[in-house]
Amino acid sequence: MTVIKSTALAAGLAAALLGTGPAAAQQEPGLTPTTIKIGMFAPLSGANMAYGFDVANAAKMYYDKINKEGGIHGRKIEVVLEDDRCNANDLVAAVKKLVEQDQVFMLNGGSCSAAVVAAKEYVVRNKVPLVMLNASGDGALYPPTDYIFGAFSISQYAVGGAMIDFAAKTFGAKKVAYVNHDDAYGAWNLEGAKADAEASKVDLAVESVNPTINDVTAPFLKLRAANPDALLIVTYARPAALMIKKAAEMGFNKPIILSVTGTANLSQLMQNVGGPDALKNFYVQDVLADLPGGPKIKWVYDMYKQSYPDLAAKPDHPQAYMPYGIPSAMSIVKALQAAGPNPTREKVLEAMKTLNFDSGVMAGPVVFGPSERAANKATIFIKFDGTNQTLQPGVYSSRWKFKG
Amino acid sequence: MRFVALTVAAAILIALPLVTTGYVVYLANLLLTFTVLCLGMHIVIGETGQFSLAHAAFYGIGIYAAGIAGTSFGTPFPVSILIGGLAAAAIGFVIGMVALRMRDIYLALATFAFGEAMQWVFLNWNAVTGGPNGLRIAPARLFGLELVTDKDAYPFVVATAVAMLVLTVIVARARLGRSFRAVRESEIAAQAMGVPVQRTKVVAFGISAFFAGIAGGMFTLFSTYIHPDSLGFQTTILVLTMVVVGGLGSIGGAVGGAIAFGLISELLRQAPSFQEIAYGAILILFMMYAPKGLFAFLADRFRGARHA
Repeated sequence: MTVIKSTALAAGLAAALLGTGPAAAQQEPGLTPTTIKIGMFAPLSGANMAYGFDVANAAKMYYDKINKEGGIHGRKIEVVLEDDRCNANDLVAAVKKLVEQDQVFMLNGGSCSAAVVAAKEYVVRNKVPLVMLNASGDGALYPPTDYIFGAFSISQYAVGGAMIDFAAKTFGAKKVAYVNHDDAYGAWNLEGAKADAEASKVDLAVESVNPTINDVTAPFLKLRAANPDALLIVTYARPAALMIKKAAEMGFNKPIILSVTGTANLSQLMQNVGGPDALKNFYVQDVLADLPGGPKIKWVYDMYKQSYPDLAAKPDHPQAYMPYGIPSAMSIVKALQAAGPNPTREKVLEAMKTLNFDSGVMAGPVVFGPSERAANKATIFIKFDGTNQTLQPGVYSSRWKFKG
Repeated sequence: MRFVALTVAAAILIALPLVTTGYVVYLANLLLTFTVLCLGMHIVIGETGQFSLAHAAFYGIGIYAAGIAGTSFGTPFPVSILIGGLAAAAIGFVIGMVALRMRDIYLALATFAFGEAMQWVFLNWNAVTGGPNGLRIAPARLFGLELVTDKDAYPFVVATAVAMLVLTVIVARARLGRSFRAVRESEIAAQAMGVPVQRTKVVAFGISAFFAGIAGGMFTLFSTYIHPDSLGFQTTILVLTMVVVGGLGSIGGAVGGAIAFGLISELLRQAPSFQEIAYGAILILFMMYAPKGLFAFLADRFRGARHA
């Protein structure tokens, strides 16, 4: 009887061990002894491809570099890449496919803010770590959750605030004309701008325009009537070019400051505004650590040429936002390394919350915290006269803080 | 043949959540929602011949109305969906009244303008729609049951889609459906036959908007977020394309178009480098070789094979 009992006990223990062993391993999807599967998504097609195609390529080339160096605790990073078309329904489909069908360990994606916010509830409910690519994605970052990290390029709140900070400090502006969009981006950056305007005692004259606007005469005339010390344009490329052109036509000679969202190609902007005469007193915001292609970030462009020689040979490649993909991939690698040889999603999330490092790519460091999910808040400014780009001294940020 | 097709469709619908992942079920939910949107557009364009380009707006009204009802007032989801449908229908009737004075391209432009205006409302009525931040929608609820996954929502999405399909068939076979088609063929002849043309048009707009509103309510069963960007003219054009590809004027075409075109679109998403070219080529091929739509094309082929 004792023998039977002992045998049953041993069998029970063995079954329990055998049963729980693999089950424990299976609790973390996307992990094998030799690989970690990461699900990436970005706009890889259509009109918004420029926002994400080369950004995803940059993240992939960084993962390749890590793999060549031996991976993370012996595991190689395996990337599954999906096209999200910058559209909420497609992005959610891509995320669900990566999580449920491809069984990835964590997500690294999103270049379009409004679309990526649509996945928020799903990733939070399923406790999947989501590290955005280059979307500001403020709607998914505030209020903060344990699962979503982003704004590696910059938070839109910081964009607006930094624009005011630069205008106030550099030109002593007391009244600024502020053009933004009547969409999510516009609402977020205006909130940041208001916080800094209040702190710097700057009066704001605001015109919110539709991204598809064709004629900016009316908003421009309203802003000029306010007699501003500087014109701040926080829009996408088309309204920005129209506004700069209109300002030149109307003889506006005060500083014009364009946000990082306003152009991906300065030479194209010069053509769109009718030549260098429109850019006599013109400044553009950037979030990189240096001028595009400058010595501080040359290594990123060199890595791109090495990784994608065919793409690099094409005109307009790498696309302007390419370097933005590096800090998000770096963050994932650092968090995985910190999570140790037996990573879990929870361990990686805890490690993400403590990240504080200089990527060497962006104007400011990547800093997360217990309730901070937006990585970068710093910007630089460049004077552009149609030919030459001159880096302006200093790094500018926003005083805006989330008041949850 | 119809019986066999219906049996196969029913078997697929039943088996789907049992043998596939949540991702596939999400796609099924989305395609069934677009199917109801297509049925609504079929009623106003295919049956009644009135060019309406405001479908995304009615869909949005349905989403916001159902979403706000469920989230802010805790209404059970069947009630929320009905609220979405009725809110859209009420506005659809008003648009139908305006439409009485217009036809053809003028009607198309007027309804397009309404769609754009509604998107502006969604974007700027911050207190109600969340404006540019989008609106978070609480998971649908019914007597303590909460739909938190796509598989939870699926049976109810299917049931609603089937109910709307049956309703479409009932309307098409009723006197009202015959009135719709009479108006489509010739308003003068319809009037001579005693069809109240004006009233028929208004009813068509109202019913079509009701379908779009119900589709919006269905969306809130499996999605917890809506942003005005998803409710623009592209959505209307997508639905119109589905209806035309499926076959204008046929219920089977509207259903087949929504499913076929939705699947093609999702499959093409897996081939980013070629999808725009492939998408365009598929549309051109459909218009060249199946101008009456996919449903009529397949029916002709089937009849040809039987007679051969």
